[in-house]
Amino acid sequence: MKKIIPLLAAFFLISGIIDPLFASTLKIGMQDEPKTLNPFKASDVWSWNVIGFFYEGLYTRNPVTFEIIPWLAEGDPEFDKKTNTCVIRLKKEIRWEDGVPFTAQDVVFTAQVFLDFKVPRYISDWDFIEKVEALDDYALKFYLKEPYAIFFTGTLMSLIVPKHIWEPIVEEAKETKSPLTTLLEYEVTKPIGLGSFRFSRWHRGAYVKLVKNPGYFASGRKVKGKIVGPYIDEILFKIYGTTDTAILALKRGEIDYIWWPIQPGFVKDLEGNPKIGVTNNPENGLKYLAFNLRRTPFSDINFRRAVAYLIDKDFLVRRILQNYGERMDNVVPPGNGFWFNSNTPKYGKGMSRQERVKKAVEILERGGYSWKRRPKVLENGRIVKGEGLTMPDGTLVKPFTILTPPADYDPLRAIAGLLIQEWLREVGIPVTSAPTSFGDIVNKVNTEWDFDTYLLGWRLSLDPDYMRTFFHSKEIVRDGYNSMGYSNPAFDRLADRSAKELDEEKRRKSIFEMQEYIIKEAPYIPLYTSTSIEAYRKDRFTGWVNQLDGIGNGWSFLFLKPIKEGQE
Amino acid sequence: MGRFKENFNLFRKNRLGMTGLFILLFFLLLVILGPILPRIDEMYRPMTGVDKEILWSTPPSRAHLLGTDFMGRDILSQLAHGARIAFMVGISAALASVLIGTLVGLVAGYFGRLTDTLLMRLTDILLTLPSLPLIIIIAAALGKQSLWIIVGIIGLIGWPSTARVIRAQTLSLKERPFIEAARVSGASNFRIITRHIAPNILPLSFLYMTFGVTGAILAEAGLSFLGLGDPSVVSWGMMLQWCFTTGHTFRAPYWVLPPGLSISLVTFAFYLIGRALDEIINPRLRER
Amino acid sequence: MNLGRFILNRLGQIVITLFIITTFLFLLFRMMPGDPTSMILDPKMPPEAKELIRKEFGLDKPLMVQYLYYLKNTLTGNFGKSFYYPETVLEIVKRKLPPTILLFTTAVILSYLIGLPLGKTIAWRRGSRLEMGATVFGLFFYTVFIPWFGLIAIWVFSYRLGWFPIGGMLTPEVWAADVGLFPKIWDVLYHLILPLSVLTLLFFAGSMLLMRNSMLETLREDYILTARAKGLPERVIKNRHAARNAMLPVVTALTLSLAFSLNGGVLTETIFSWPGLGKALVEAVLNHDYPLAQAAFLLLAILVLFANLLADILYAYLDPRIKY
Repeated sequence: MKKIIPLLAAFFLISGIIDPLFASTLKIGMQDEPKTLNPFKASDVWSWNVIGFFYEGLYTRNPVTFEIIPWLAEGDPEFDKKTNTCVIRLKKEIRWEDGVPFTAQDVVFTAQVFLDFKVPRYISDWDFIEKVEALDDYALKFYLKEPYAIFFTGTLMSLIVPKHIWEPIVEEAKETKSPLTTLLEYEVTKPIGLGSFRFSRWHRGAYVKLVKNPGYFASGRKVKGKIVGPYIDEILFKIYGTTDTAILALKRGEIDYIWWPIQPGFVKDLEGNPKIGVTNNPENGLKYLAFNLRRTPFSDINFRRAVAYLIDKDFLVRRILQNYGERMDNVVPPGNGFWFNSNTPKYGKGMSRQERVKKAVEILERGGYSWKRRPKVLENGRIVKGEGLTMPDGTLVKPFTILTPPADYDPLRAIAGLLIQEWLREVGIPVTSAPTSFGDIVNKVNTEWDFDTYLLGWRLSLDPDYMRTFFHSKEIVRDGYNSMGYSNPAFDRLADRSAKELDEEKRRKSIFEMQEYIIKEAPYIPLYTSTSIEAYRKDRFTGWVNQLDGIGNGWSFLFLKPIKEGQE
Repeated sequence: MGRFKENFNLFRKNRLGMTGLFILLFFLLLVILGPILPRIDEMYRPMTGVDKEILWSTPPSRAHLLGTDFMGRDILSQLAHGARIAFMVGISAALASVLIGTLVGLVAGYFGRLTDTLLMRLTDILLTLPSLPLIIIIAAALGKQSLWIIVGIIGLIGWPSTARVIRAQTLSLKERPFIEAARVSGASNFRIITRHIAPNILPLSFLYMTFGVTGAILAEAGLSFLGLGDPSVVSWGMMLQWCFTTGHTFRAPYWVLPPGLSISLVTFAFYLIGRALDEIINPRLRER
Repeated sequence: MNLGRFILNRLGQIVITLFIITTFLFLLFRMMPGDPTSMILDPKMPPEAKELIRKEFGLDKPLMVQYLYYLKNTLTGNFGKSFYYPETVLEIVKRKLPPTILLFTTAVILSYLIGLPLGKTIAWRRGSRLEMGATVFGLFFYTVFIPWFGLIAIWVFSYRLGWFPIGGMLTPEVWAADVGLFPKIWDVLYHLILPLSVLTLLFFAGSMLLMRNSMLETLREDYILTARAKGLPERVIKNRHAARNAMLPVVTALTLSLAFSLNGGVLTETIFSWPGLGKALVEAVLNHDYPLAQAAFLLLAILVLFANLLADILYAYLDPRIKY
């Protein structure tokens, strides 16, 4: 009997009694645990989901309008165009969680680390900064080598680390043979930040626990009519390897939110559950088909356009995404309203399969292509496949491949690749879709340039500066991002100008023009962007903030309030 | 021929073996059905055909006896196509590994000495290694998700158990008088192996092939399920992977049950047949 | 030869085997395209940063130098750095090994505990309905497609009936609450039941059928006939004479079944999110984390090799006729 009592006690502990004890614990399901808590090293979403709670930037974006608002800083940046300098004032009375005041010295220190070590993740937002000076404890001056638009959207939003914690680590790293590696390898076991939550505990392989930062500087501030919290005492991250198990856990109330997009297949079932909410938000992403412009026939704009017409994006969205997504006729997603140019050419929009084939044949013929057997669309709509597509110079188009990610990475894109293969073959384009491991694709595409076409995707930032990264000819280097070899001096000039333009309206004009170039010349064929579907418990917390990419954003966690029992 | 008939009669008495055979016959019918379906309607093409009216996964209906998958493709057509892939993968991978295994076993057993030691060491190493993790690692390192490459890997990994048995059999055959006689009459090694030893060990190889098919089908399905398979081929493992990754596992029993059950049943059937053959070839196991 | 020499000899063979495997793994992964930078596609990451990462992992050095480093690392048991996690591979596998050993050994032991007596019984009752039933039942699970079966088990027992957790090895709330040792052990057991039952179901047929066949062969040995003739009670013949001798080949066969059950272990761990080596291997492969994949595989191999050694020693112990 003596043995049974603790056994029973343990059982009850597990099966329910614990629940009321953690009434305001927000339990979040993640697919993987953080890789590291080192903010210089972390590059994966799971690490940032945790680290993001500890550190803040000088400025941040408004949850609804995305306009930039001061956060650790006080008031707008004062930029002097003549000298390319910018003065920024800091809020006073902000403290790190260990009680040390946050001052301009922390900002100067952080900037110096980014610049001295050329920390990979941050350097592209900082390498145009000459230096940062502290005018006094609460005022800073940034010296820019050249004006850059991402100064406001990137540099000023970078996180700031506490000098008193990191200085000894950084100094020690500088003494070693490879300082950067030492810094990146430094294992953070007890992060000290100033964010809304503090680190409490990490049991590897099982969970991460955060507790509320009682001295959070932004608590009580009003943003968009709401008072900033946090109103939750604890956050518990739990690891679920698959979406299926996470959904079951959500239904059983073991977690309150799944912090990754779920597949459309889950929706119908969840929508019938009164305790579970499902949200749809556009994703700031892009799936695309890219060509190797160094090879024929992809170097020919007519060929690329014909391909663009043949791909039925609406079919892909309707079938593969099950309508949870949108066709893309641009490299900037429509959800990014301010920078999105809606007037780019829309290849094949609204066309039937027959019309697509006719149009593609027409373009190819006008471009000097011929066939051994020309594809035909019969009166009754049947399509007679073409054969032996021949280039203007009289040589046959050689069979080529579309590299698509394998099933473990994204099974849907592998299917998309197969469908595209079928559509292209109808006009006699000899293509095979080749599912290839992700690492192999990146290696072939970015490092070796040994590919014909490939199908990949990007997660994008709000600032459209990425267009410069993807299509500027200076990125045609080993491991560069212009893997297609797209080179257009006019586009380069435009891209350089847009990067240095600080006037938003003027910059928007150049960005719009850049989008037109890309779509017209088609080194990329944008395919679709998906909708981020997310699921959460309606009966436990309220106040989720819907944003581009979903409800798992900093604002949600600042505004979320527990629902008291019987108060639903 | 008489021996075959005698053996077949023995097989017929083996209830488990006959069960296996009937299961296999059922799936062979499914294989035949495969190419017929797309001729009835384009929407029955297993990979690219979709029902124009159906945009998501639906339970069984008259047009789709087993329902449709997430994008409106017919599950029965996929299952039928998957049956062909399963037989193809299973038989060709097993054939490859049995060929290698028989060759290694023959050579090791016949020539003995250093050849034997080296080959058997290699066999033992491969035999003790967990094969699925090994296949996973090799498939991942090759990076190309092609069905034939996967078949090749499975074939290359699966031979050691055959090699061991064949070697033992060869060793015992080598001592038989008729081999001695052939040697004395001046037959070359090649001739002795191909004319005298090989015919006597072929039944054993065949037996190991049935077991090999089981292993190969399971391995391919496992790879596909983990996402390391060939996504351009509609195999049963890939059907499950689609079901799993599109979030239908616990919501669409009509989708998740058929491929999994088919994999399990086909491998079960091959195993049963293998066991029945085993009892015929190894009479010690037979009932007195 | 005495037992000590024998073990030493076997250890030598194990070392050679491991050397061959390590070299094979090295060649396999270095010949293939892709390196740790291949998984990094971040437009914010300048191209030079990738070169830096390659240097960090020593991938800019000649192949032979890399191989020597790799051998040294493997020998010192440190396996180098993970491409994906910021830790060394050693730290990761150290964490992953105990869960695998826990799940794997209990499953093997349990399946033998069930399989051996069952095998004994059905051999004794040859041709009975029990034999037929146990064989069909056992074989079906022996050849079942594991991920599918695992998912269905989760569906029925965790989801529908709610008896067991959905996956993982521990309940975060319990461990976060500092409840002391006993509830923690209980919590792990509670998570262990379902994957353990599934694995046991998958394995027991192997030992059952081995035992059956071995028992059938033993039963026709002369000494059994003699025992029968002497009129010894059937139970004594079955348990004392037949079963004990039939055990020997079954122990040898353990060798093969261990490698086989590890195959199942990998898939089962993945399905049940059991934080062991098998799941780590699969994830490492999917993340292109080759150092971790290599180490996980090597450890699995070592696990099997030593289990085999153990089986051999056990065999020597069981069979006094064998002299080393």
